[in-house]
Amino acid sequence: MSLSHFQSEFKKMMNRDYFSSTIHPIRKEAFSKLNECGFPTQKWEDWRFTNLTSLKKEFYRISELQDGPKQEIDLSPFHIDNVANIIFYNGHFQKDISHIPSGVNLMSGLDYLESKEWKYDKANDSPFDLLNTAFMDSGMSLVIDNNMAIKPPVRMVFISNSNEPIMVNPRIHIDVGDSSFATFIEHHIGVSSSFFENGSTFINLDKNAQLNHIRIQSNSPKTVSMANIKVEQNQDSQYTFFQYADGGQLGRLNMVTRLKGEGADCNLNGLALSRNNQHLDHHIITDHQVPHCTSSQNFKSILQDNSTGVFHGRTIVREQAQKTDSTQSNKNLLLSKNALMNSNPQLEIYADDVKCSHGSTTGELDDEALFYLRSRGIDVMAAKNLLVRGFANEIMTAIRHDSTRSFIDDQFNQWLGDEA
Amino acid sequence: MLNINNLKAGIDGKSILKGINLNIKPGEMHAIMGLNGSGKSTLANIITGKDRYNVTGGDITYKGESILDKSPEARALDGIFMSFQYPVVIPGVNLTYFLKAALNAHRKHRGEEELDSMHFLKLIRENIKQVDIDESYLKRAVNEGFSGGEKKRNEILQMITLEPSLSILDETDSGLDIDALKIVANGVNQYRNKDNSFLVITHYQRLLNYLKPDYIHVLIDGEIVKSGDMTLAHELEEKGYSWLES
Repeated sequence: MSLSHFQSEFKKMMNRDYFSSTIHPIRKEAFSKLNECGFPTQKWEDWRFTNLTSLKKEFYRISELQDGPKQEIDLSPFHIDNVANIIFYNGHFQKDISHIPSGVNLMSGLDYLESKEWKYDKANDSPFDLLNTAFMDSGMSLVIDNNMAIKPPVRMVFISNSNEPIMVNPRIHIDVGDSSFATFIEHHIGVSSSFFENGSTFINLDKNAQLNHIRIQSNSPKTVSMANIKVEQNQDSQYTFFQYADGGQLGRLNMVTRLKGEGADCNLNGLALSRNNQHLDHHIITDHQVPHCTSSQNFKSILQDNSTGVFHGRTIVREQAQKTDSTQSNKNLLLSKNALMNSNPQLEIYADDVKCSHGSTTGELDDEALFYLRSRGIDVMAAKNLLVRGFANEIMTAIRHDSTRSFIDDQFNQWLGDEA
Repeated sequence: MLNINNLKAGIDGKSILKGINLNIKPGEMHAIMGLNGSGKSTLANIITGKDRYNVTGGDITYKGESILDKSPEARALDGIFMSFQYPVVIPGVNLTYFLKAALNAHRKHRGEEELDSMHFLKLIRENIKQVDIDESYLKRAVNEGFSGGEKKRNEILQMITLEPSLSILDETDSGLDIDALKIVANGVNQYRNKDNSFLVITHYQRLLNYLKPDYIHVLIDGEIVKSGDMTLAHELEEKGYSWLES
């Protein structure tokens, strides 16, 4: 893919007066690295099943101030009870309608980098991560002190709404202090006719910290959505992740979690729903670096029409990571003969005293179950919907926030209803 | 109630039922006994509407109408129920939700008002006592984590909840211990009256001792070779089936 489109936008980026020039060297370094490696092609092992044509075709410009909201934003269609909202509109922070619960130190990306003495992190060495570093323009950092229980959950809402092709590169840092607890929701929605969202999220959990992380990717069908997430877990920390994805033309989650402290526990879950020509992708790496950690990867996809999906999960157990207990499961439901799923669960084990399992199934609706429901008087459409629901329900229990779960549940029912 | 007339059917070109005749009147209980592979379950599945079988001849009428072209759900709503030999586990589908959806489909079909959650729960808590299943199972997925006996009792729970006119019990006794068998038999007997008909399919006399069907039929190789009353069941228990084979 040619980077020339991005060259002129990068120049614009560097000339923007409302971004500090202090981070220019960081941007420049990332952009020149990106120029060296280029964007992935399907010859790259990790990108074999991800077709980036839709991204290639479009000339995305950076989001300007005038891309901000023209009128008051109606939040009611994606209202979730009992959350503190932080709102971004085409990448622009909407201070007036944002709320931050006490105990959370909200910092701009710039302030955060300054606090880290300009040492910046890489999500997973992917070109999209470099792109994010070069173009970072939005997002926030949440820093939570030790021994805090943050309530209500913090939700960052990323709304995209533009008739022109624009791109945003949100960058989120979340640091949860020693023995603290928080729930963080990122909610990506919009009606854009062409949009490229390339977000990088960095999460650091201190000793005994707990974070529930819920990601809702319901972008417009004309959106390319890249999510690069990196999680570092210290001793006895717990991280639970759930992604609900039903949006975007191309949506890809690149996730790396590093278990660096003994006793850390990491549970990653996802449900992807695709239709038409959508492509939804999960690339998940769990890296066990020390003994006595537990982890799970549990991902499901439901595919219709000509849509495609990927699950590429890798659990690495390093030589010193004895007594690791990990599971990996990928289950997929094909509702159309033309839908295609690539499932590749991998275990890479270098230690000898571990408990690891993995499995993958891909299939259509179970005929026996369908007949059973119909024989009880439930009509064939309702019976099919009930089975699809059941398939999804199993994983919805991993959403550890009631009102968010019921929001996602409604969203899922809508998706199912649209299908009928 | 149910009239089977010279029914011939098979699967994948293989003939299984070779001309079955059976007439079940309201309030009657018929039992079909036979060895594995004799076609008992095929018959039950065809009456219920499973589409993997080919009917090559004859007809089945229920309440005076041919049902062979009707969908399984249409037959169910008209009052045909089968207790499955192997009840299916349906992951992620909550038992209460499933029972309520099934009952309300029936009520809607009968022109009755659908039950709301509160009234439904009241009803189902009454019914579940009859089959001695713990109420906590209502929160589980359909048949998930149920023992063999519990699955069969769950079938009877569905029967008494949906109130069918014709109940087919397909080897509901197999794999049941004596206590579970009594519970199942009690559930059936309580539901029995002058209007409801039953077709009981079994290998064994054991369940029939509790149910005391009006008629016994012996199915061998796709044909009913002998019909009689309970004494026939006793005879089969003593002598086996070989004396009936031609």
